[in-house]
Amino acid sequence: MFANTYELIVFILNFIGIYNPINDFFKMLGIEYVLRIIIVLVEIAVLFVFILLTVMFLTWMERKVVAMVQARYGPMVTGPRGLLQPVMDGVKLIGKEDIIPAKADRWIFTLAPFLIFIPALLVFIPLPFGESLIISDLNVGLLYIIAISAISPIAILMAGWASNNKYSLMGAVRAVAQDISYTIPLALSAIAVVLYTGSLSTVDIVTAQSGTWFGFIPKWFIFLQPLGFILFLIASIAEMGRIPFDFQESESELVAGFFTEYSGMKFAMFFLAEYAHLFSVSAIVVTLFLGGWSVPFLSFIPAALVPLVSLGVFLVKTYAIIFFAMWLRDTVPRMRIDQLLKIGWKIMIPLALINLLVTAFILTAGRF
Amino acid sequence: MNAAEELKNLLPGSVVSTGLQLNKPMAVIKKEELLKAAGKAKEMGFDHLSVITGIDYKDHFEVIYNFFSYNKKQNLALKVNLDHDKPEVESLTGLWNGADWLERETFDLVGIKFIGHPNLVRILLPDGWNGHPLRKDYDMNTEQFVTIGENGDDVVSTDGTNLLRRK
Amino acid sequence: MESDELLINMGPVHPSTHGVLRFKLRMDGESIRECTPVLGHLHRGTEKIGEMKTYLQFIPYTDRLDYISAFPNNYAFVKAVEELAGIEVPLRAEYIRVLTMELNRIVNHLVSIGSLLMDLGAATMIMWGFRERENALQLFEMLCGARMTFNYIKPGGVREDIPDGFMPKLNEFLKDMEKRIDDYEQLINGNEIFHMRMKNIGVISAKDAVNYGWTGPTLRGSGVDYDLRKYEPYSIYPDLDFKVCVRNEGDSFARFIVRMDEMRESLHILRQVVDNMPASKEISSAKYGIAPMTGTPTAVSSYFPRIFTPPPGEVYSRIEAPKGELGFYVVSDGTTKPYRVKIRSPSFCNLTAIPSLVTGLKIPDLIAAFGTIDVVLGDVDR
Repeated sequence: MFANTYELIVFILNFIGIYNPINDFFKMLGIEYVLRIIIVLVEIAVLFVFILLTVMFLTWMERKVVAMVQARYGPMVTGPRGLLQPVMDGVKLIGKEDIIPAKADRWIFTLAPFLIFIPALLVFIPLPFGESLIISDLNVGLLYIIAISAISPIAILMAGWASNNKYSLMGAVRAVAQDISYTIPLALSAIAVVLYTGSLSTVDIVTAQSGTWFGFIPKWFIFLQPLGFILFLIASIAEMGRIPFDFQESESELVAGFFTEYSGMKFAMFFLAEYAHLFSVSAIVVTLFLGGWSVPFLSFIPAALVPLVSLGVFLVKTYAIIFFAMWLRDTVPRMRIDQLLKIGWKIMIPLALINLLVTAFILTAGRF
Repeated sequence: MNAAEELKNLLPGSVVSTGLQLNKPMAVIKKEELLKAAGKAKEMGFDHLSVITGIDYKDHFEVIYNFFSYNKKQNLALKVNLDHDKPEVESLTGLWNGADWLERETFDLVGIKFIGHPNLVRILLPDGWNGHPLRKDYDMNTEQFVTIGENGDDVVSTDGTNLLRRK
Repeated sequence: MESDELLINMGPVHPSTHGVLRFKLRMDGESIRECTPVLGHLHRGTEKIGEMKTYLQFIPYTDRLDYISAFPNNYAFVKAVEELAGIEVPLRAEYIRVLTMELNRIVNHLVSIGSLLMDLGAATMIMWGFRERENALQLFEMLCGARMTFNYIKPGGVREDIPDGFMPKLNEFLKDMEKRIDDYEQLINGNEIFHMRMKNIGVISAKDAVNYGWTGPTLRGSGVDYDLRKYEPYSIYPDLDFKVCVRNEGDSFARFIVRMDEMRESLHILRQVVDNMPASKEISSAKYGIAPMTGTPTAVSSYFPRIFTPPPGEVYSRIEAPKGELGFYVVSDGTTKPYRVKIRSPSFCNLTAIPSLVTGLKIPDLIAAFGTIDVVLGDVDR
């Protein structure tokens, strides 16, 4: 058990016996902080590569799932079963001309893709991928995640405004309205979970869900908070901006929503951010309600293998949620923006408040 | 007695003659009385205006209105003859909303003016197009070039000066 | 509260205007204050072409009007010419014509429902629809060698007889399709979001629908029990048993359901056609093609004349095409070419009502209402 990946790496280096010599070397030069920086950079690089690979895999998976539902093959030509399709997409997007519309606000137009891409990566920092596999166990982890996610509406609004296109602007306004009305039930149902754990740290939340009731029901919060789970899931699909809630794009209405005018690499950034978002939001759902990386049988695994096994468990659960989102996208039509807002404000938020109230009541009553 | 003759009995002053359009009853109407006759036809139950056809016969124009009654399951055609110099006839938009586009189309392609139409502008061809293509004297040899102007309106020229040329 | 008006040009290049239709929208935020359709981007002057081609030469041009369902277009024009010239058609040819037209109706409704669902954001239906459409198109290909533009129905009959192996494949298609329609209904009909999007959207009363000149499934969705196949029968429809599908709500959902039901009715008609198909091999009153140069005069006269002159006269003949009432007004002056061909296309007339249908609604509703009107731009602009 380590608090984060940094300590895990130090432990592994110690284990093979090269940490101390290296550390001594840096100490001799008087710059031991450089070693720490190097380790952190390695961590970030690994995470970044992981996210990029995940995003590439997700685009492939999305196509394949859609194809499966729609009774066709999907990509088959590039690589085995089309696995290299994302690479080809990437090459194509990089090779495209980077067009900035003549009447666009150049600075904001250029800045927006970065502003949407970077938070999408930052969200991964307090995500527990497995036991000891967390970049940083912030004690306000959950708050941090919600706060960071709140940046993306600003970036979307920037993109929509700067494009100087009516469709973009409408897409952006829709996206912001949607984000505001769905972040509230999202946060409220997350708070209900926090009431149980008494901590905002993601690691604490996961640890609270390890173990079982009666020996076979895993202590996941989905069983304590079924309503909270459903609300959180719906709100998070709205957060991801996917069908039935994909108003920021609403391709058949607003052409491509807020990124209508983007092309080439800038478009690719939106694309990457979207799929990074898909993964991170699914991971948060898993962390909060499905026990994160914990499963009942984890205590039978040899301690050295626990990080690996727990990573596998976490990925399986996350991909289950992702598959659900993809499946949903292929089956249902898009809602209308006013219907969405109505459901958000008139049903989801009251329900989330009631859920929070009932949870608080039960917990308080249980204390006496 | 078919529907055309019935109409003639009701409006003896307006109907010039009755006959058949192959197998459908047809009444030729005085052009000034069309609105009245059509209104009467609507009262008789001919509630579906199927089509408005304008035909250029070189010396005169004919406009044919084909009606149908959903209750009686009967057809009726009304025909008006118009002077070639002044192809004008009253609009039926007040009676049938569906006449709106049909009349605009007839105006666009045949060049018949419908008096009282709320928005008699070209519908299929761009605004500013020269001539009405379904007239027999339409000049088919002159090319016309269409572009969109700064304010979104159509710009038509016969010499292509409005086309965007690469410098 | 006052807000600035927003002008939006929807189309001519837009994912859900089904081609090159352009809407000029005056918006108040998300709601539509005024909608003005701008037509003519696909205008090819088909009516003018009709005046310059002979009767037989014009038939391929009718394929290009409503290219989703070209058999009814063929038939509507040919029917007008046959009425004008008084040509008798062998019974088998009429059966084959109805067979093609009803198959085409299924194809049309598959595309219509599929693209409607795609516009609403559910892309699965169009793929499923195209899977079955592909089977139907293969049947068309067996029949006449073309998949979308057929030029198959000719005055006096059809161009070629049914090939070997067609009927078993058709039977298979009919059996398969029955199950598939159940699948579609499971996928779409019970979906809550679909109901939210379609019910009470684009409502039009029966009176208004008639006043706007609506026809076809769009009219029947408003509760008018009318179908030309039933009440002004042509071809062999009087001998066939089928019911007219009507819904009374007059909203987008009703129009959608009418199309679903019509597919089933078409299957029912097709089964009857298959069962009662006359065995005689006579498929036209005269052969088509070029008579051999060495032929005897009687052999040559058994061919349909390429230069064909109906007697002078005028006719307005209409049929129940998948999209509504398709009419051809043909005037003959006794020469080889029609004096005037006027096309009454269902898409054009049904589209008339869209401005009044969507005023006060939102852009997504415009798409839902427009999708259920089922417009093909080749048919609108001609």
